[in-house]
Amino acid sequence: MKITSVKSRAIALLSTTALLATIVVAAPAHAAATGPTCDGKAPVQTCTGTTSDGALYEMRVPATYSGTAMIWSHGLGTNAAVPAGLLPIFPSGVPIDPRANVAPGNSADLANYILAKGVAVMGSGFSVQAWNLDEAVKTNAELVGIFKSKFPTTKKIVAWGYSMGGGITQAFAEQHPELISAAAVINPVDGPNAMLKLLGDTLWLFKTFFDPTIKAGNYTAGKAGDMEMVADIGKVLTVLASLQASMSTGAWPATSSATGKALETAGVPSRSALLLIGLLTGQSTQSKTFDNISGPEGALKLSFPLAVSPALGVLENTATALSYGLFLARDIDQKFGGLVFDNTKTDYSAMLSESDRVVYNAALSGNTVINALLGALNPANPGAPRQVGNPAAMAKYAALYNITGKIKVPTVMMIGLHDPVEPAGIVQRIQDLYVDQYAAEKAAALNAAKKSRAYVKPTNKLNVVWSVSPASWTKFTAAGLPYAVGNTPGTGHTNFTPANYLLMIDTALKAAETGKLPSGGAWATSVRKAGGLKIDALTSYPYMKYYNQ
Amino acid sequence: MKAMNRRKLISVSAVLAVASLAATAVPAHAAEVGVRSSEIKLGMTLPMTGSASLGYNKIPGAAKAYFDYLNANGGVNGRKITLIVKDDRYVPTEAVAKTNELILKDKVMALLAPLGTANVKAVASSVNPAKRGVPVLFVNTGFSGFADTKKYPTHYSILPSYQMEAKIMGKYIAENLADKKIGLLYQDDDFGSDALAGFKTAGTTFAVKVPYASGSQSSATAAGWITKFKAAEVDVVILFGVTSASLYMLATAAALKYAPQWMIDSVGGDSTTLKLAGVPAGVLYNAIGFSPVPATTDLTDEYIKLFSEIYAKAVPGSAFDLNVLLGMNSAFMTAQALKAAGLNPTRKSLMAVLNTNGASLFNSALSPVGYSGTSHVGLTGEWVGKYSPTGDLLPIGGTYTTYITDSGAGAVVKSTYKRPAMPAKGLPN
Repeated sequence: MKITSVKSRAIALLSTTALLATIVVAAPAHAAATGPTCDGKAPVQTCTGTTSDGALYEMRVPATYSGTAMIWSHGLGTNAAVPAGLLPIFPSGVPIDPRANVAPGNSADLANYILAKGVAVMGSGFSVQAWNLDEAVKTNAELVGIFKSKFPTTKKIVAWGYSMGGGITQAFAEQHPELISAAAVINPVDGPNAMLKLLGDTLWLFKTFFDPTIKAGNYTAGKAGDMEMVADIGKVLTVLASLQASMSTGAWPATSSATGKALETAGVPSRSALLLIGLLTGQSTQSKTFDNISGPEGALKLSFPLAVSPALGVLENTATALSYGLFLARDIDQKFGGLVFDNTKTDYSAMLSESDRVVYNAALSGNTVINALLGALNPANPGAPRQVGNPAAMAKYAALYNITGKIKVPTVMMIGLHDPVEPAGIVQRIQDLYVDQYAAEKAAALNAAKKSRAYVKPTNKLNVVWSVSPASWTKFTAAGLPYAVGNTPGTGHTNFTPANYLLMIDTALKAAETGKLPSGGAWATSVRKAGGLKIDALTSYPYMKYYNQ
Repeated sequence: MKAMNRRKLISVSAVLAVASLAATAVPAHAAEVGVRSSEIKLGMTLPMTGSASLGYNKIPGAAKAYFDYLNANGGVNGRKITLIVKDDRYVPTEAVAKTNELILKDKVMALLAPLGTANVKAVASSVNPAKRGVPVLFVNTGFSGFADTKKYPTHYSILPSYQMEAKIMGKYIAENLADKKIGLLYQDDDFGSDALAGFKTAGTTFAVKVPYASGSQSSATAAGWITKFKAAEVDVVILFGVTSASLYMLATAAALKYAPQWMIDSVGGDSTTLKLAGVPAGVLYNAIGFSPVPATTDLTDEYIKLFSEIYAKAVPGSAFDLNVLLGMNSAFMTAQALKAAGLNPTRKSLMAVLNTNGASLFNSALSPVGYSGTSHVGLTGEWVGKYSPTGDLLPIGGTYTTYITDSGAGAVVKSTYKRPAMPAKGLPN
């Protein structure tokens, strides 16, 4: 999930937790909506206000307004601020940022591209951050109503968003198809259960092997809990640095659990344990730097991609995933009043797919090592205590809205094959569900045709594009050290080019206008020209582990 | 959306039906991916470079040699076979990337003889040839799972499974080496699991079992293996791994003057490859080996005679060995299946031929093929031999005694299979 406050917003954190607490207090859940207050400027006027739940919003409407508007949903924010200087990965700190976003990263270029078409843009900052799918859908519905009241010539609304906002957009389209004409869903989160399993298993496996002092939840209330979460991020990064340093030797971090140390004594390399975590949780083994294909010239040409690179790929992806995940874990704790992740019944042995066991066998150091690692995760091992969730918190969490994958309005989706936070399987599942949905619609149409004597073919409502990586991308210095070259498509989190976003915008707007998604050669040409993208209905990317596939 | 009335539906259907009839009557207008009026494109990925390529990198040259011979003799119903080969270096991720290229960019009709259990599994799960309907012909791995038509409906095994081979080894041990202490070196993945299952069925017990992780084989690791076998005081050491494992083991054993009775699996026991890589013929001498096809030095065999002549002309100076023979054998079977698939072969018609008549395709092996609509089991047996003083694997007693079995609990029995005579000139008839 994209933390927009970190990557997309340039204004530095001006206040500390005290001020942020003030903001939260000043925005009660059921306050009256305010605005919109418009500046009346030309050629684009900007209107601002707050929805009834206190979410700040912004609308930009061109003088050439055509009657179509796009509503943007931003990525993951945080409800736990991190001051500057505490974490090297967030040197400027992480603010609680309630400001409105109207485009990816609040990009003026993308917003202006849309405005130049006579299309308005809008979006809110949402009333709460982190896992806010339920709240955000309500906010979006209200914002659409406010916009239509202010601009009554409005005919079409297009919803779009990425990461957490991608999930919000999909949920919005599922719950309120009457409000929108088309959607662009970009690397969406899955529902809360699937995301919790990814996050919870990753954290539990990581602490069980490498550092049992990582809390990974059950944080103290208030600011002290925020700092415990920050300390957890620091521990995770320390362990990852240690693992990276010992990739070739296989030594385990000094902070490893008794279970980890016993495995080390038995000759199990730490890189194999790390890779196993990635495979059990469904993390991609290919990352920004590591392609699992290239090796340095010389003796490691073959053994590096076979035995080492997959673990390094997981390491790089896990660093990203856990940085986001711990913010989310902190938020879930606060929001639901305790631990919601419970793995007392999880069979980790069953989560290693037959294919992964074979394909990554060399990097996992063979079946004997695999069995030793999986054995260590057995519930009977007192050195790997399972996490017991808080029943009341779990019940509250279970009431959250789960994304159904039902496609009700023309939708275009895009996701990276190796996104470390939102695995490609999220979109794969929706695509597969849509195949069934379309078949059912077709059967219904054929049935209807028996009475009406006129068959009306159902309209396709889902186009999916995958951000794919080239054949190889890892480079090596003269000394044989790997390094990444640029932003390789398909790797990293929410790693899309402006051309990729323009494809999403143009496709969704066209679908809103005509009621149809582009198809055939014209669609294929558009995708090809956007660069780094592929239409692929024939490859099956693995589902998230929650779905047991 | 405009509604289409029934009359239009009928007229469109009629046009399609006529077009379909026309297509079957005119061979020059084939409409299958990889099939043109003058050419059929096939694709192959396997290790061509790197340490894992040892010996296996001769397979594409062998298959091409046969296809060139076939093309010079009219091809398949007038179409020449083009084989596109990509180097995957035995790296699964690379096999996935290269197979994607073959299917999506090169647009091959079928994949031929991909090598390695891990690579074939990686491709099966990532590229999904089954979902695409792409035939994967004659996979170069003995992993028994690829014969499962439910999991791998478009894959066709060819090598006897590792379970079969282990069971045949077990029978030989029970009948000839029952009083010996046996040690086993095996690859610690599906390759080895298959073997362990076979030995368990055969009732073979081991004084010591030494697993090695794929890719970990080296002179240093081989020295460690030898230490374990020496400590267990075994009389017989079974090498159940890839060629590089056999190579490091035998070369290191020679250096350390460790000389138990060796027993070597077929995929890791090609003598030409081992000798070229530095294993002295004397080390191989009297080792027990297994093979599904005739000895490659047996020029009295009509297949060996013809194939070795074809290969010598196509690749002068390259030794005719087990990998070459298996490569040419797969090419020959492919040619027959394509010819039987009709004037305009499709992926579906090709697989239909293999499912219904695949077991009767001519080939050089000395045991039958097990293809049917419900099983894609390849060859079902092997003969037992010993390596000669020059390091060549020859049948014990000078005659081939082939044992056949299955990948389950079935017995190992002497085969009564009589190989049919080779078609004229080794061409599909």
